[in-house]
Amino acid sequence: MTVAELCKQAGFKAEVLPDPDREISGVYIGDLLSWVMGRANSGDVWITIMSNNNILAVASLADTACILVAEDVALESELLKTAEEKGINVLLTDKSIYDAAVTISKLI
Amino acid sequence: MKELSLNILDIAENSVKAGASLTEITIEEDERFLTLIIKDDGCGMTEDILKTVTDPFYTTRTTRKVGMGLPLLKMEAEITGGSMEITSKSEKEYPDSHGTQVTARFCKTHIDFTPLGDVSASIVTLIQGHPDTDFLFTHKLPGKTVSLDTRELRQVLEGVPLNSYEIIKWIESYLDEQYQNQEESQ
Repeated sequence: MTVAELCKQAGFKAEVLPDPDREISGVYIGDLLSWVMGRANSGDVWITIMSNNNILAVASLADTACILVAEDVALESELLKTAEEKGINVLLTDKSIYDAAVTISKLI
Repeated sequence: MKELSLNILDIAENSVKAGASLTEITIEEDERFLTLIIKDDGCGMTEDILKTVTDPFYTTRTTRKVGMGLPLLKMEAEITGGSMEITSKSEKEYPDSHGTQVTARFCKTHIDFTPLGDVSASIVTLIQGHPDTDFLFTHKLPGKTVSLDTRELRQVLEGVPLNSYEIIKWIESYLDEQYQNQEESQ
């Protein structure tokens, strides 16, 4: 399943989607960025509630398929602009981290 | 990072990579605040580079000279309502007084404050990995100061490498003892 298909089927909001056809291979959940950096796998949907610019660098280093920001955390335009520039998919949902993960689990 | 002691290790490694002969690691703690200062006499940075070191994307290039260490430390300090600042003098511009100082201030009472963790282990790891450079470690706690100066050790040891097994074991227990005395005096 691609990130664009996930967005559509799960009802996640595509805040920035520069790479819609990226394949999803799994899910990783975490907010401690240094921890995520070493543990998220390439192709994962990374679910987090963190929303500063560092998450883009972490997603880029770990080569995740997209960042899914849960709990309707407010995203600043600066973050979205940088995500566009760096080609990083950023999705948003009002679901809790758990509910978002369950939703994805039913789809992939 | 999970513990501040891992940040300390990470930032101090930058100092060693910058060719520091002495890296000073200072932790000052009171009831409310923890201030971490890492100061080195390494090659330093020009103002242009200094501006970019907290930009996570500058640091994620394949040819990166520093890791995510500074952007993460800054974020962790700011999350607690604290701050981080870096000052640096490059060797080119200041041949006699070059080096870098990173200062991070944390509010310990904030719920998202990262625990300090095993700072002795970080200091020992640094000495073990870089026995030929010097470290001055000072941890100021209320009513007590824990410290270790590898320059002093070196004088006494007369050529015995600092990373030899017995010396490392001795450093571990030396730091442990100082921390234990701290607990007793409280």
